[in-house]
Amino acid sequence: MTTRAVIVGAGGLGGPIALSLARSAELVIVDHDVVEMSNLHRQLQFTAADLGQPKAVRLAAAVTARGGTARGITAAWTPEAAEELGGDCDLIIDASDDPATKFGVADWAVANGRLYVIAAALRHGGNVFAGVPGVACYRCLFEDPVDAPTCADAGVLGPVVGAIGGVAAGMALGLLAGDRTYAGALLAFDDLRTVPEPRVVRFAPRPDCPACRRAPISPLAAPPVRVAEGP
Amino acid sequence: MPSIRVPSALRTLTGGASDVEISASTVRDAIAELDKKHPGIAAKVLQNGAVKPFIRIYVGADDIGDLGGLDAKVTERDEISIIPAIAGG
Repeated sequence: MTTRAVIVGAGGLGGPIALSLARSAELVIVDHDVVEMSNLHRQLQFTAADLGQPKAVRLAAAVTARGGTARGITAAWTPEAAEELGGDCDLIIDASDDPATKFGVADWAVANGRLYVIAAALRHGGNVFAGVPGVACYRCLFEDPVDAPTCADAGVLGPVVGAIGGVAAGMALGLLAGDRTYAGALLAFDDLRTVPEPRVVRFAPRPDCPACRRAPISPLAAPPVRVAEGP
Repeated sequence: MPSIRVPSALRTLTGGASDVEISASTVRDAIAELDKKHPGIAAKVLQNGAVKPFIRIYVGADDIGDLGGLDAKVTERDEISIIPAIAGG
């Protein structure tokens, strides 16, 4: 049976994740953005020839060039559009740079019983969360996305996204293979320049977590979906 | 003296320092002391006297939610860790 994975975000994290999973799963890559010159130093999947092109489409092409199967969709991922954007996946990975999208992906995965990985990188470190149905979820740990710092706030060192993306891809492969070692845990890499080992944060489900209790969650404020498939 | 492990995302407020020693007996006091040394950091961590909803704080390996919240006691050898959700990609 074919394994299907959705990757939300085709930038610094999405690139290494997609290329690492290229031969392990059929991929749907979702990103609304286009390649800019300022991306090239850390989004190594792109070259100057990709400038101005949709990131999702160009990353899917890079996966295909490596013998994988990928569909790039130029759209902003939202829970409302999740079914259209690879809703039949076995696993979904958030590699976006938007706090609300990270929580939206996690909530959707919990509500639909999917494996999920939430990856984030900032300055010199990053976080990778491994989500599995039935254990404490991302929203049990972090309750609300408001004010969570982004790259736009604090920047990110170029090589850090490659390292965190590699960990996230490894986590995804582990989950798909049935490895539950880090199920429901956050791997927090504080400063990869000095401490390569993560702090492993484990925690109990939060009794009033709206995601686990399947209670209504505030919808994302996101633009409508624009679908342009490729390559 | 207990110390606070400042996450990378907030080190712009500590001049790049990752570990700051403080004199305090509770987590609440520790954050207040940290803010005296590095003004502005408490506002990044707390809101209306509570920990912001995208931040978790640990004393050693224990979440302060299991230790009495911000009133959790800290001892000379404790390390307080601030772990925020981050969103960069």
